[in-house]
Amino acid sequence: MKSSIAKHVSGLLLPFVQVFGIYVILFGHLSPGGGFAGGSILGASMILYRFVYGAEASDRKFKYHYMLKIACTALIFYGLIKGYVFVGAFLGWHNPVGTGTVGSLFSGGFIMPLNVLVGAVVAITFYFIATLFEEGDFGNADPHQ
Amino acid sequence: MDVFNIMVLAIMIAGAVAAARTKNLLGAVIIFMVYSLMMAILWQRMNAPDLAITEAAVGAGITSILFIVTLRKIKGMKK
Repeated sequence: MKSSIAKHVSGLLLPFVQVFGIYVILFGHLSPGGGFAGGSILGASMILYRFVYGAEASDRKFKYHYMLKIACTALIFYGLIKGYVFVGAFLGWHNPVGTGTVGSLFSGGFIMPLNVLVGAVVAITFYFIATLFEEGDFGNADPHQ
Repeated sequence: MDVFNIMVLAIMIAGAVAAARTKNLLGAVIIFMVYSLMMAILWQRMNAPDLAITEAAVGAGITSILFIVTLRKIKGMKK
């Protein structure tokens, strides 16, 4: 899409959308929102960047193998931490993080790291789904492998 | 159930029927987006802001983007 108006308006709008997405992810245990909602907002901002600035610029900024590594690492850590929470609650282990004071950002134990991991996975997955809808495959999205 | 909720529900029913009956595909997608946005307002009115955020981001955002990309791929948009 070669539109100067769309480029300038989205250039002004994208940082606010991404900051709002990160806010929804980070404050998911205190206010409405969470990993899925904030991750979908972040993914929508990445899809907007791809459709406005073109596929080449977006592939340069969001590299395919890099994003895939982030998503897989987030999934593995999600499994580890969630499994630790389940097993630790069942066996009565001591919680190494602690609960913190109610209402502060670093409270709620493992909920905020899990929200961050879920947000990363959901944002990257939505971006990949939109890329698949547009391109059909990841044929020339990965020049490094 | 006050008057505003009933108005939003009426818009949702009309939007659902119109999205199924219209011949213009891009118009159907936009009507579906309006339907989803009214659903988000109704979630907020029923004290479920978490679902409202998710509905507004996924239903009115991502799904409509994917529909419009698909329309552009199959050249279903009328000029």
